[in-house]
Amino acid sequence: MKTENSIYGEHRPALEATMEALLQHIEAIRAVMTESLGMDPVEHSLARIKSEESMREKCRRNNLPETTESALEKLYDAIGLRIVCAFVDDVYTIRDFLVESNKYEVLQEKDYIRHCKPNGYRSYHMILRTANGYHAEIQLRTISMDTWAALEHHLKYKKNLGDRTALIGSELKRCADELASTDLSMQTIRDMILEKE
Amino acid sequence: MKILLAEDTADLNKVLCAVLTHEGYDVTPCFDGEQAIERINNDGFDCLVLDIMMPKKDGIEVLREARSKNIVTPVIMLTAKSEIDDRVAGLDAGADDYLTKPFAMKELLARVRALTRRKTEYSSGDLRYNDVALDGKTFELSSENSVRLSVKEFELMQLLILNPNRRVPCDYILQSIWSREPDAQADTVLLYISYLRRKLKAVASATVIDGDNAQGYLLR
Repeated sequence: MKTENSIYGEHRPALEATMEALLQHIEAIRAVMTESLGMDPVEHSLARIKSEESMREKCRRNNLPETTESALEKLYDAIGLRIVCAFVDDVYTIRDFLVESNKYEVLQEKDYIRHCKPNGYRSYHMILRTANGYHAEIQLRTISMDTWAALEHHLKYKKNLGDRTALIGSELKRCADELASTDLSMQTIRDMILEKE
Repeated sequence: MKILLAEDTADLNKVLCAVLTHEGYDVTPCFDGEQAIERINNDGFDCLVLDIMMPKKDGIEVLREARSKNIVTPVIMLTAKSEIDDRVAGLDAGADDYLTKPFAMKELLARVRALTRRKTEYSSGDLRYNDVALDGKTFELSSENSVRLSVKEFELMQLLILNPNRRVPCDYILQSIWSREPDAQADTVLLYISYLRRKLKAVASATVIDGDNAQGYLLR
């Protein structure tokens, strides 16, 4: 796509470099934690620049003009990272490392793990502003939370549930609560093991 | 709450029915043992009041049949006279309590309440402690959020809520919850307490489990 047609204008290379720097920062945090825990806290991480189409669609949805300013200054998820951790505590440790690095201005934090969404969704969301002025949305979650979100996403598009909507909604919530419970049990087991070492 | 009343004396049956209904129970009257067994087989009750001396089948036969079908509903036997053998036979056949005729209505009502109390208070309703709720049907532990507990976690939480003002000793917890698992040990209790501590925090509750294996455990 030609630069003049892109909603990101000439910023795409800089966005990509910023995203890359964030990923490297996560890698560095991961290395430090691997050392102290004796195990890798990150299961996998993903990063993406929001596609032209979804960024334009999001501008329209938010009644914003489809401009570079909207994409970079009004909306904060041009850069998106998802870090999937093994255990719940690791989510918070990575969050602390990011905040305490003083590399970013933390614009917003939403703890949907401690205060889960009514449908059962759990994840830790942060919006960071980098030194070079770009914004990034970081989602931190555990494997189980990621599993639930992925499966729920598949089912969300199945329409025409009719009078079963409420039942299916409450069952999905139950699955989320059971997975969350297992996450906490696994964390407790790890604590007991680490305590013994 | 549903009560089956089996009493062949029509007048007494009528009076007992009226009193129990007045107390808010849903009463099914029967006039002989066969009728009683048929109703017990086809419907669920919270308490059975069985006269011993009845036509067709006596109260003890009814009780034996019910127990042989794994019906564990609480049973009160009514004995016509203070025949010790009748009472012993009734208790041996699986009765929970007995009353000797003539008896005071007040006493019958108190005994029905006593036998049905455990059920209403413990298993059907929700338990609460401070900002935490424990749902007896879904095993859901909730405050601002909710999680689903495993069976053992649920039983442990229930035990702690039902003992609100005293430290529950580790031994007592092992005996009440892990009685059938000889491999369970103090560390098992510690681990399950740790699960619950985590989960209380995760549902954003301010309630904590105080104590350790030596002191026992208490909700605060």
